[in-house]
Amino acid sequence: MNSLLSPRMLLTRTIAAVVLLVAVMVLCSLVGTQTVSLRAALAGPGSPTAPNPDYEILLHVRIPRILLAAIVGAALAGAGAVFQAVLRNPLADPYILGVSSGAGLGAMLAVVSGVNWTLWGRSPIAVFAFLGALGTVWLVWTIGRITGKFHVTGLLLAGVVVNACFSAIIMFLTSVARSQDVYATVFWLMGNMAEEDPFVLWASGGCVAAGLVGLFFISAPLNVISFGQTDAQSMGIHVERVQFITLAISSFITAVAVSLSGLIGFAGLIVPHAVRLVFGPDHRQLLPLSSVMGAVFLVVADTIARRVVAPAQLPVGVITAMIGGPFFLILLMRYNRRVYWLS
Amino acid sequence: MTTCIRLNQVTFAYRPELPVLKDISLAVETGVFLAVIGPNGAGKSTLIRLLAGLLRPQSGTISIDGKDIRSYSRRELATKVALVQQEFVPAFGFSVSETVLMARTPHFSQLGFEGREDRRIVADALAMTDTAALAARPLADLSGGERQRVFIARALAQDTPILLLDEPTSFLDLKHQVAIYDLLKSIQREKARTIIAITHDINLAAQYCDQALLLQPCSAAPEESRTRRSLKPADHYRVGRTSEVLKRETLEEAFGIRMFSVPVGIENVFLPLGKMAKDTGRAPLSNTM
Repeated sequence: MNSLLSPRMLLTRTIAAVVLLVAVMVLCSLVGTQTVSLRAALAGPGSPTAPNPDYEILLHVRIPRILLAAIVGAALAGAGAVFQAVLRNPLADPYILGVSSGAGLGAMLAVVSGVNWTLWGRSPIAVFAFLGALGTVWLVWTIGRITGKFHVTGLLLAGVVVNACFSAIIMFLTSVARSQDVYATVFWLMGNMAEEDPFVLWASGGCVAAGLVGLFFISAPLNVISFGQTDAQSMGIHVERVQFITLAISSFITAVAVSLSGLIGFAGLIVPHAVRLVFGPDHRQLLPLSSVMGAVFLVVADTIARRVVAPAQLPVGVITAMIGGPFFLILLMRYNRRVYWLS
Repeated sequence: MTTCIRLNQVTFAYRPELPVLKDISLAVETGVFLAVIGPNGAGKSTLIRLLAGLLRPQSGTISIDGKDIRSYSRRELATKVALVQQEFVPAFGFSVSETVLMARTPHFSQLGFEGREDRRIVADALAMTDTAALAARPLADLSGGERQRVFIARALAQDTPILLLDEPTSFLDLKHQVAIYDLLKSIQREKARTIIAITHDINLAAQYCDQALLLQPCSAAPEESRTRRSLKPADHYRVGRTSEVLKRETLEEAFGIRMFSVPVGIENVFLPLGKMAKDTGRAPLSNTM
């Protein structure tokens, strides 16, 4: 009975993870093509005629980008954890119900149609990708419901088929579109961080944080649902309601993340897995820890992407898969059994 | 004795032209251990799922503790009826105590944590099912028998007067089969629960259960009974004390095979005999075959 999660244990571990995140963010803000001194930056903005370069770089370049990486990482890893629970499938990731191909198709349509406007500072690619992602998840959900009421297999199959179909349309559009336009989309599809303005960071950060807090309140029923719908129903859980709310919230925060940074693979799959291997499958703990560790993971990955081929930059999606894969395999071999840290 | 479950003319069909259960009426008294037996496809699991509120009958009514099952909310029903399905390994590596604690989820605080009372109930359930020593181990590491005891513990932690089990011993060896039935019997006696268990083991049912419900597929009923608007109940189901229902002729007819039946102790023991069995030639001739 002592191995059960207590609120105190959860709080300790979450705070420890957040402290780690802050430390990583501070460290990563000092890493880049330009050497920045924290002490120099703390001196303030300087005068209008002689701006303090350290302060400018840190405040207007590094920190926004690091915050963006943290927001996207938290959204993807948190969404991945609940997708795996609801679909009862350890191979599920936040893109599995069509978010990826929907966003890709949206982005492609934005480029091909040549629309040229901005919405709250967002490019048409981001707006179309966001709408495409949500629209596709809605489509998959509807098809899944028709094939069988809340049967996970129907939902998964619908997701796979819609993904395949939309990917084919993307390839078709790639073939017929002019090559210059296509390059922008392909680069975007690989997953890429850019500096964003404060309003976008606040708005998307707020959405993601609210979504994750909402998901936390249904993480106890998620534990039961991961045993199957019949079990959960007979234990008094409103399975349909919980499934719908979790999929809606997690698809929404995934779509937000995708519209910010394109398709960053792997973070939503391996971060929840890694956290589960180390701390166990209880979703009340898995969700907060996955979110924070997802943020850590993406901040580190993006720093590497900024640094490794400087002054050029790699798409962060390349890094997540390249360092995430081996790291995860090592974890998998190390923890064939669950152990408790920080208990 | 009070009636805790009552079925009145219950009919259920997955496809309208092919009813699985037809016009079933029966009453289960509080504190009874009822075995549900019958050939595959007779609707045993369907009946259990109806009682657990997972399915709704097309016609007829089911009442639990005198109240129509449709008037219960999902949560209320979960405080009356607990369901144990065949044991399985879940997708994620939950430990035994985590699994049993999940039965308390509807009683958790707003933040999703259990109270002291929940912990006490879980500890009781683990002790009763002899799984306390396994508490920290993941379900995947246990044997099938141990895992089945954990699922029974989880149902106990749900703290319901009624326990439904779907073939609790199907993959277990003799020792563990007996252990599960001993456990169920002690739950029935010490905790005064009503237990309904589907089983294919007629001899264990005869040894442990008070009553038996023998179901036969609607489609197997004789032609003249089927062509009428309603099925003759005796061709579809029989319910009563185990010694009344579990008789050689009845079972031979229900399963369509021949059997030896030998009185051992205070109950009869049944041995099915196929065409190629060593003792087939020596089996008593049965007029129903």
